[in-house]
This record gives sequence, structure tokens and C-alpha cells, in this order.
Amino acid sequence: MISFVPPLSRLLLWPSLIIALALWLKGGASVGGGFPAGALAGLAVLLQYVTAGRDQTRRFVAVRYAAPLAGVGLLLVVGTAFLPVLAGYAPMSLFPRPDQQELGVGGLHLHTALIFEGGLMLIVFGLVVTVIDRFALRTDSDAEEEAGP
Amino acid sequence: MPLLLPILLALACAPLAYVAGRWRPGAAAWMGALGALAALGALVYEWTQETTRLVFPWAPSWGLSLEFTRDGLSGLYASMALTIGALVVLYSRAYMPHHLAEEQRPPGDEVRFQGLILAFMAAMVLLVTVDDLLLLFVALDLTTIISYLLIGFDREDPESRAAALLSLVLTGATSVVFFAGAMTLGLQYGTFSLPLVFERAAQSPASTGALVCLAVGALGKSAQVPFHFWLPRAMAAPTPVSSYLHSAAMVAAGVFLLQRLYPLFAPATDVRHGLLVIGFVSMGMGSLMALVADPFKRVLAYSTIAQYGYALVLVALGSEGAPLYVAAHAPCKAALFLTAGAVTQVTGKKKLSEVGGLRHALPVLAGASAIAAAGLSALPLTVGFFKDEVFFHALAKEGPAFMAAGVVGAGLTLAYTLRLWWGLFGGPRPSAPAAPAAPPLLVAPVVVLAASILLGGVLPGLLVTPARAAAETMRGEPSTLELAYHLDARAENLLAVGAWGLGALLFATRNAWTPALSRVLNAASHVGAERGYRLLLLQLDRLSTWLHEKEVRDLRDRVASVLVPTGLLGLTVLGVTPLRDRFTVGTVGPADVTLVMALAFASAAALATLRAKGHLRLVLLISCVGFSLAMVFAFAAAPDVALTSVLVETIFTLLFAGLLALLPRERLKLAQDEAQNPRGRDRLAGAVAGASAFLLSWSALSHLHVDRVGAQTVRLAKAAHSPNVVAAVLTDFRGLDTVGEMTVVVAALLGVTSLLSLNLSRKGKKQ
Repeated sequence: MISFVPPLSRLLLWPSLIIALALWLKGGASVGGGFPAGALAGLAVLLQYVTAGRDQTRRFVAVRYAAPLAGVGLLLVVGTAFLPVLAGYAPMSLFPRPDQQELGVGGLHLHTALIFEGGLMLIVFGLVVTVIDRFALRTDSDAEEEAGP
Repeated sequence: MPLLLPILLALACAPLAYVAGRWRPGAAAWMGALGALAALGALVYEWTQETTRLVFPWAPSWGLSLEFTRDGLSGLYASMALTIGALVVLYSRAYMPHHLAEEQRPPGDEVRFQGLILAFMAAMVLLVTVDDLLLLFVALDLTTIISYLLIGFDREDPESRAAALLSLVLTGATSVVFFAGAMTLGLQYGTFSLPLVFERAAQSPASTGALVCLAVGALGKSAQVPFHFWLPRAMAAPTPVSSYLHSAAMVAAGVFLLQRLYPLFAPATDVRHGLLVIGFVSMGMGSLMALVADPFKRVLAYSTIAQYGYALVLVALGSEGAPLYVAAHAPCKAALFLTAGAVTQVTGKKKLSEVGGLRHALPVLAGASAIAAAGLSALPLTVGFFKDEVFFHALAKEGPAFMAAGVVGAGLTLAYTLRLWWGLFGGPRPSAPAAPAAPPLLVAPVVVLAASILLGGVLPGLLVTPARAAAETMRGEPSTLELAYHLDARAENLLAVGAWGLGALLFATRNAWTPALSRVLNAASHVGAERGYRLLLLQLDRLSTWLHEKEVRDLRDRVASVLVPTGLLGLTVLGVTPLRDRFTVGTVGPADVTLVMALAFASAAALATLRAKGHLRLVLLISCVGFSLAMVFAFAAAPDVALTSVLVETIFTLLFAGLLALLPRERLKLAQDEAQNPRGRDRLAGAVAGASAFLLSWSALSHLHVDRVGAQTVRLAKAAHSPNVVAAVLTDFRGLDTVGEMTVVVAALLGVTSLLSLNLSRKGKKQ
């Protein structure tokens, strides 16, 4: 019997990533945020590792460079937090300031909190995917070791 | 902006030298020296300008700014660091190729060495120019770090590495103490800006504790008793390092700090008396050790300890000659160090007992170093004469006991300097074949320094302006320092003549007392500070080993070693904070039934973990707890938290299951057996940790201030353009916490990556 899980999980990849993106962008206004977005995206990749295997999943650039992505995320987080200091604001000042007008259309509002949340998302995604990848690598090599002569 | 020009030029030296070194290794030194001279020119130009202070606010909300000053002290010390830095870099052009060849290292490392020297020079210029307590500390630590790299430059040599580590530990630890003092002052006066601190200190004097902390930092840097023993050890460094760091730069930094911060010390007579004692002790001890030491760099090292003891005495007495003393000592000591390096390079010997009669082979070096030696021992017609004049002038005001101590100190100086110079150049011509001539570039810096020493001695008027300016900065009042020769029977002259007589007498009779003195000093070294330092390190090492063994012997003990102290801390906190109605029980209405059911499910799953067999089952039970709690959050109208916990629980469960596949089966079985048979202390540890967590949560939940926190947060979240309160708290209100947490996550990521790759590569090797 051909399992329905692999094709279904392949189908699920893009929708879950889009939902993750939505969680990130809508985080300021409703349920969501960078952290769950990163976790969800990581889970989507985890599913691919389980069903399609390490080599298939590593075709995606974001999966191969997950650890550097976490570094980029940290830079974004630290940058959002401390760059305002250079301009004379307190650390962790977000823009637009509370008394300033917001820019945005519909549910999407431009706010530096989005960059911050994006950093969180990248860090969480990078952590989850890197750990999965290392585990998969270890199990693969163990399997080879056992299979070897 | 011209105020920053010397600093910027000095900072540019090291990169420029590096680039020049990429083109051709020999060019690095010339480029660096050129940069240093340009910075010196900029320094002179800066003195013709009006601006004396420059302030860049960089975190105004924290009251922090970058402040630079142009005053007498910074001018004197910066020009000293730049001039001697340029000469030392040129000298290293001639010295390093030979040294590197001996150490069997590629000649290209010369560029790295010169880059480090120039970086040190920049750090020193920065240190003397900043006008802010925090920046002082930063620059101080910069010099410490670069000096570590420089002293340990011969990284193949274990002695060099040990010496570098010792100096890093001692000067680093003392500069942390300095930081503590700086923070105390900053908090006491509400600012780190030095002029403001001085102004406010005039009304309310600084606390003694803070001053002692600052003084400890300075004493460590200046290698004064009881932190002196790193300096002789640091002589393992290549000679250019010793001649720069240990004459004009690093050790000068300590005394410089005291001079810079003198307005704080002025009213604190107790601290100054302590410094005075330390200065005299360092003076005596350093001089005596210098009289018997055999390796000539060690003689100079002990002499440095003694000479900075003099400078410390001058600072402690509040004498206006203190900056001049350091400035007059630096070229003499640097020239003698450079001479020692040249002798070692030419003859290959490092000890006084192995060389002699070199005046025939190295006449120019002998002459130049004779002038430097005369300067160090304060003979007339050299700049050194005035360093002793100001010294005696300060002591003459204090009384006969001080004058006697001064005469003995200066006499010892003359004796060991004579012994050093005579040991190198005097005596019969060696019977061995004549040593080859020294390369001109190796001798030229010594000649330049000797010329400057003579110039300062013949035309003392040139020195009056900078010395007065520095004294004015130090003491904050106009200076009347006079430098001139007086041919009369004033106290200073009599004391100087007495010192020369004593020194000559000691030198003439040296064969009679040297063996006895070296025996006494040898015996004394067994009870000295160095021994205390070693014992302390040994005991700390033992303690850490003991703790480590206790902790890692057993996985359960390791967990307990985290949980039990935390639990005890929590219980203590509950015990000492008086709170009314600490533990209240709320009401449960019909609407809460779903909540209670979810909680009951979570508790049941948690209890079931106690009896679970097999790790996979354990993981599933723990995730059951997590999912039930997510349900609780969902019912309690916290969709954000619920969503995040569902996602995190899912990832946790899957990763944990993946991890179990990686662990060896026997290990898992062993752990399972252990978990099924808890020992008495495991139960106790669990009880303490559990009770503490339970009581703390209960107490916290009994004191929810719904109106105060909740309503306020919702209102503020709206203002912060983030209707989602959780997001507003995470990104805005507690944003810095989030930054910290994310840093921890990335650190964990790095740890996981490197640990797992490490294991893998080890396995690969085994195959």
C-alpha cells in the first residue's frame, strides 16, 4: 500500500510556510509573532526531513544555510535594539514612536517591530532546522556504520 | 576635530604598517614610524589650537559620552609614547629578523609584531587622551590585552606563554578592581566625565574604598609591590617589547592613572600615605634585586619597579615633579633596554656574568648607553639630573627621614646602573674572537635617545613648559616648577652629592657584599608575593577540580546541583519576604470547568512520568503535560501563548524522539534503571525543588495585580501601535530581555552545532 503521508506532506510545505509568514506579518495586530512563525516554519521543514529525507530537503537554500540565517536574525534583533542609540534614542526604541503616525495598508503596518520579529523568526527557524539537520546527519552516519561491513 | 587627529593617526599606524608589510615586510616598520611621527606632528599642531575638550554623546539616555581632552598630562605622555614607539618600531626592524630566525619562525611574522607594537602605541595614546572614567578603563584593558599578545609573542616558548598569562591575570585582575572603583565613583557622582567628577568631588570627597580600588588598578599596571612580580617574568618577551611596554608605556600607565585622578586622591591623606609606603618599599626592593640580578634585562626590570616606586612616592606626596619624573625616566630606561637587546643579538648572551669588555667591539653603543645610564642614575648634564632634583625637592620638605631614604634609593640606583654598564662594556677585552659589529639600525635608536637625554640635560628650559603644563593638569593649580642648575649648597644638591658618593662606594665594594645580599634576597623570595599568588592559584585550581568531580560523577547529582540551590534560594526568598495573605485560594465557578479538566489532565500526565517505563513513553508523557497546559492557555483566553506552546511542544517531542535514537542503548537502559530506583538524596532533592517551585508559583499567583499591570499594558500597547499585547510586551516593553534571550538561543545553536560535529569528527577518526 502506498502511504498517503509523503505526498500530503509535500503538499503541506508551501501552505505552512505561507501561514508562518502570515503569523510573522500579522503578529503586531493579532495572534502570531516571530517566535511561532519560526517554529512553524521549522516544523514544516522537519516534516520534509521525516518524509523525504535529508538530501531531498537540503535542496532548499534556506535549509542549507539555516545556521547563518540565525546569525542574520541575531544581527537584525541587535540592530533594531541598538541602532536607535546612535541617533540618541533609548535602546529598544521602535519606530514610528507612539506619538507618530503609522504607515500601512489594511492589516499590514510598517513598524520596526516587524524587523525585530523577523529576526526572532530567523533565529528560531535556524535553531530548529540546524538541530534537525545535525540529528539527521548523525542517524544517517550511524545507519551507514551499521550497514557497513 | 583637530583634537582627535593624533588619536586617529595613531590608530591608523597599525593597519598602514600591515598594508605596507604585505607589499614588502621591511616597509612595515618605516611606515609605522612615519605614522607615529605624523601623529606626533598632529599633537604639536593640536597644541596651537584653542579647543581643549571634545565630547561626543553616544548613549545620552544612560548619561554616557566619549570625552577627550588636550591638557598637559595627555600631551606629555602621548608625545612620550609616540616618540619612543617610533624608535622601538625602527629598532625592531633590525632586531626581529634575527630573533625570528632564532625562533625558527617565518620572517613575515615581523610585520605582525610591529603591528602589535603600533596597536599598543595607539591604545596608550587613547588612554592618555580620554577624559572619562569608563573610557579610561576600556583603554586600560586594551593595553592589557595587547601586552598579553606582545609578551607571549614567542608562542612556542612555554616560559613566554606563562609570563604573558601571568601579566594578563595580574594586570587584568587589578584593572577589574579599577573598574569597580570607577563604577563606585560614577554612581556616587552620577557621571563618568572626569571634570564633572572632580568638580563634585571637591564638595563631597570620594569614598576611601573607591580610591583604594583605583589605586590597586594603578599599582598592578605599574608593577608596584605587591603586584610587582609579573614584570621580571615579562622579560621573556622580545626586547623591543620590554623596552617599550616596560619603560615608557604599560608601566607608565599606572602612574599616569594616579596623576590623572590626583584631584580625587588629594584630600585622601590616608590613601596617599599607603601609596607612599608602597612606593618606598618598591623602591628599596627593586633596587636591591637589581643589584644582584644576573640577566641584564632582569636588572632593568627590577630597576623599573624601583623607578616607578620613586614616581609613586612623588604622586603620593603630591609633588608637581611627578609627570616630569616619568618623562625623564622613560628615554633612559628605553635606551638601556635597547642596548641590552643589541648586546644579546650581537653576542648571543643574556647574562652579565657571560659578557664584558664590549666597549671595544661596540664603541658607539657603549657611548650612547653610557649617557642613558648617566641619565638613569641622575648625573648632571643629563635630563635624569632633574628627575632626581624634583625628587629630592619633594623629600626635603618632608623631613630628614625622607631625605635619608631618598639618598639611599638614589645611591642604590647609581650602584646598579654602574654595575650594569660596567658589566656589559667595562672590564678586560674578552679573549674570545671579537663580536661582529651591530647593524646601524640597531644602534641608531639608542643614539637618538641618548641625544635627547643630553639635550634635555643641557637645555633644561625646553622641559619647563611641558612639565609645568602636566603638573598643572595633575594638581589643578598653577605650577612654579623650576629646572636649572644651581651651584650652591641647597638641600637638593647636597642630597644628590650624597647619593653619588653612596652609589660609588657601593659599586667599588660590590665584591664584598654581593654574595651575602643575593643569599638574603633568595631566602626572602620564598615568602614573597609571588609565592602567595602561586599558592592561591593552586588552591583555586583544587577547589574547581573538587567541585567538578562532585558535579559530573553522576547525572542525577548534576541535576540536583542545579535544582537544590535554586530551590533553597526560592524557599529563602519566601521565608524572608513578609507578605500578607501570601497563599490564597481563589474560587472556582462553573465557567472554569474546562480549565480544571485540562489542569487535571496535565497533573495526571505529570504524575504518570514517575512510573513510566522506557524513554519514549516518558517523552510522550512530558509532551502530554505541555499540550494540556497549552489547552489551559487557550481556555484562559491567551491564544498567543497557546499557539506558541503547541508549536514548541511539537518540536520538542519530535526532537527529543530524534535525540533518543542517537543515544546508545546501554546508556538509556542504565539511566532507566537508575530512575526506577531513586536514592534517598534524590528524593530529598526532588522534594526541595518541587516544594520551592510549588510555593513560589502559588505565592506569585496569589498576588496578581490585574488592574495595575493588565490594564496599563493594554493601554500602552495601543499607544505603541501594537494591539496584540503579547507582541507589544515581547518586542517593545521587554524588548531588551528578548534580545538577551535570543542571544542565548544563538549561543545554544552554536553549542549544539559544534558539539554534534565534534562527536562526528571523532567518530570519523576512530574509523
